[in-house]
Amino acid sequence: MEFLQHTDIDFMKYRRYWVGISTVLSVVSILAVFVHGKLNVGVDFAGGTQLTLQFRERPEVDELRGVLGAAGLDDAQIQRFGEEGSNEVLIRTPVAAESATANQERILAALDARFPGEGAGLDLNRAGAGAVAGLLVQLDPEGVVAGGGDTAVAYYEGVAEAILDARQEQGIFTSWEEVGAVEGVGPETLAALRQSARLGELALLGAENVGPQVGRELRTKGILAVVLSLIGMLIYIWIRFELRFGIGAVVASFHDVLVVLGLYALMDFEFNLTTVAAFLTLIGYSVNDTVVIFDRVRENLRLTRREPVVEVINRSLNQTLSRTVLTSGTTLLATGALLAFGGDVLRGFAFVLTVGIVVGTYSSLYVAGPFVILWEEVFGKRRAAAAKGATKAA
Amino acid sequence: MNRSLLWRGVLILIVVGILAWSAYPLDEKLKLGLDLRGGMHLVLHVLADDALRAETETDMDRTLRLLRDEAEVTGATARRTGNTRFEVLGVPEERDDAVAEVAEDFLANWAWSRQDARLVFDMRDAYESDTRLQAVAQARQTIDNRVNAYGVAEPVITTDADKERIVVQLPGVDDPERVKDLIQSTAFLEFRLVEWPEPGAGGAATREEVLARYGGSVPPSVELLPEEIRDPQTNDVVGERYWAVQATSVITGRDLKNARPGLGDFQQPVVNFTLSPEGGDRFGQATGENIGRGLAIILDGKVVSAPRINGRIDDQGMIEGSFTQQEVQDLVTTLRSGALPAGIEYLEERTVGPSLGQDSIRQGLRAGLIGGALVVLTMLVVYKGSGINAVVALALNVVLVFGALAYFGATLTLPGIAGIILTVGMAVDANVLVFERIREELHKGRTVKSAIANGFDKARSSIFDANVTTLIAALFLFQFGTGPIRGFAVTLSVGILSSIFTALFVSRWIFDLVTSRRGRVERLSI
Repeated sequence: MEFLQHTDIDFMKYRRYWVGISTVLSVVSILAVFVHGKLNVGVDFAGGTQLTLQFRERPEVDELRGVLGAAGLDDAQIQRFGEEGSNEVLIRTPVAAESATANQERILAALDARFPGEGAGLDLNRAGAGAVAGLLVQLDPEGVVAGGGDTAVAYYEGVAEAILDARQEQGIFTSWEEVGAVEGVGPETLAALRQSARLGELALLGAENVGPQVGRELRTKGILAVVLSLIGMLIYIWIRFELRFGIGAVVASFHDVLVVLGLYALMDFEFNLTTVAAFLTLIGYSVNDTVVIFDRVRENLRLTRREPVVEVINRSLNQTLSRTVLTSGTTLLATGALLAFGGDVLRGFAFVLTVGIVVGTYSSLYVAGPFVILWEEVFGKRRAAAAKGATKAA
Repeated sequence: MNRSLLWRGVLILIVVGILAWSAYPLDEKLKLGLDLRGGMHLVLHVLADDALRAETETDMDRTLRLLRDEAEVTGATARRTGNTRFEVLGVPEERDDAVAEVAEDFLANWAWSRQDARLVFDMRDAYESDTRLQAVAQARQTIDNRVNAYGVAEPVITTDADKERIVVQLPGVDDPERVKDLIQSTAFLEFRLVEWPEPGAGGAATREEVLARYGGSVPPSVELLPEEIRDPQTNDVVGERYWAVQATSVITGRDLKNARPGLGDFQQPVVNFTLSPEGGDRFGQATGENIGRGLAIILDGKVVSAPRINGRIDDQGMIEGSFTQQEVQDLVTTLRSGALPAGIEYLEERTVGPSLGQDSIRQGLRAGLIGGALVVLTMLVVYKGSGINAVVALALNVVLVFGALAYFGATLTLPGIAGIILTVGMAVDANVLVFERIREELHKGRTVKSAIANGFDKARSSIFDANVTTLIAALFLFQFGTGPIRGFAVTLSVGILSSIFTALFVSRWIFDLVTSRRGRVERLSI
């Protein structure tokens, strides 16, 4: 199937409008993100605590908010997480004054007090294998200890590991029956555990505690990485092409970053380390898209020296149009699949790339070229004027 | 088939073969990051000021001894006035020459000056930075020992000496709190003689009771320490009792030669220990002279137990307390690993449970398969027969990426999976560039063979320039990133390199192979 093969679209005709629209969009993004502070900055950069919890039964977000509020954590953000029916929530709080991990303990203590689960003692939904093994040795439900100390420890360690493996596989034990279903847990063991252990209402699937210092450092490094990679691109294109092309490509991709950042803030996705990775990839992709077009412009400039630059750029854009659309299309399919099926953790990442590819393709067609021409008009004229002045003087 | 075609085919086979072999079987060969397999990532800050203070105090005591023994100064007192500074009082000015001699001979690490009646000692900068470095290195060694004793497979511990930080990565930890405590615990063990109450009395109920005994405040030679009372069933702390113990210790954890878990008289978990010869001498003397008195075993400033000394103990003994088996194990681990030279605080802690990682892998795999299928379909629809060429290149690309990751021992992270999916979409770009050029050449009326040759030639510079820019971005990503992000940068870079290889080399070879059969090819399915 051939498509967009012999097009003759005048991309540059309304270039002032496109540049105008893009400038407005970029400025609005800057204002929204940097002045209005709309960006939902995650614990990676802001510091703080983020816990992924799984509950035995679907928790009510409002109730959780009440429990944490009563514990002095008014500013906790709570949202559902994972697939429907997994009963997972994400809890995020700013960093505690005392230490990076203090809020984790505070959140868990508050939730444990409100959702104690069944039984008392060691929580099977939280404890590690060592603690479970220790409890079993002490209880000795199978009567192995009487037979000889060392083998008993090994025996119960095996049982404890099986229990832990099963819990980690499924995230949480929702009932004592599930504990009983673990291989190696006989009826006596189960009875002893029901007697002397607890089945808590929640399990901790993941925890992130980032101190303010680390957050600050990551922020600086992130900004530095974006700026340096843009400069790196500029230098590379300058060397391989000409400065005006480098400026055009970098302006276009900086524009993409700003516009997508604005949309990202609008969608209220969390801005974290992975997001920075997505933006850096977007810069790479966006410049890549532009460079292919510029490569054709360079080739065409060599063939026809007299033709105005506007015409050459227009022709080059048309010649590469089918490639631009097709490559964007296939990449969009991949990132779109990631956005739809990749899960919650990668959603922000996939969003940046999916939207970024659309914006990047637009900017390769409508922003990069005009900037080359603009640069030419401003500095080319000055150079021409300077040349004129020089001849007059002579 | 001509020679060039044959050799290129063999080369492709070798490259693909090596990488495919290094990645097979994938689930064994591929290293998964902590975010996929579950584990802990800890960033610790070594509070090196602690080590400086300890060093200053040691040298302060030494200085007083030296002034007494070598400079014949008696009655001098000293106090620490900063992390790296102390003052000596009561040294007459006419002894300054003697002080200078002592300082030159024995206190090379200190600069001293007289300020009126005081002698001020400042730690020299070189020694200060040396002490700091030493503290970080020793803390790292201690943590290394503890983590290894705990039994974590493939721990990764790195040091950032400038920032006095230690990064600990532990895959597959099932009890993060226990590991955190194990690493952080100073585990400073001391044995001290009990002043009051008598052993067997079970300590005093309140702090006030002890203070009342001493008339309001304890003398400098005695210290008042708490002991936690635990419920024997649940092991929760249910109260405290207090002991008056001597301020100086008989022996400390440093005098231990070895420690191991054991069982006490009532089958309760205890720690058995043996002492170094020197420690044994001191312990033997102290216990021999104090039969019938209480001996407090103190861990990090809290009394663990205070048994009666029933006889002289020379080089081995037992630490009893209301320990669980796990606590005994952790105590043994920390005692064996040695004490931390300085306190530690956690700057960053990330824990991922294995169930989250498994979800991520499953979702990533699904997204990758769906995305890949859509890309394949698109290429086949748009480029028909030549689309097959691109699909073969794409498939090889995926094999090469996994192969290269396994071959170079790189770690696959969740963003890395995203990087591979992204690569699938972007890898066909090089094919698209070539195919579009071939189409253009065909439209100009060239023969199939020359269209292919021209297409590849003209697309080459575009492919090169475009991919170098993405590589630049990946390079900065690598510089910027921690674990997961680095994983992404690596897969992205590997993906770019392998897509250049498959598009320019493999795909070209397939075209040449297909068109080499007949003398003149009339049509190309593109």
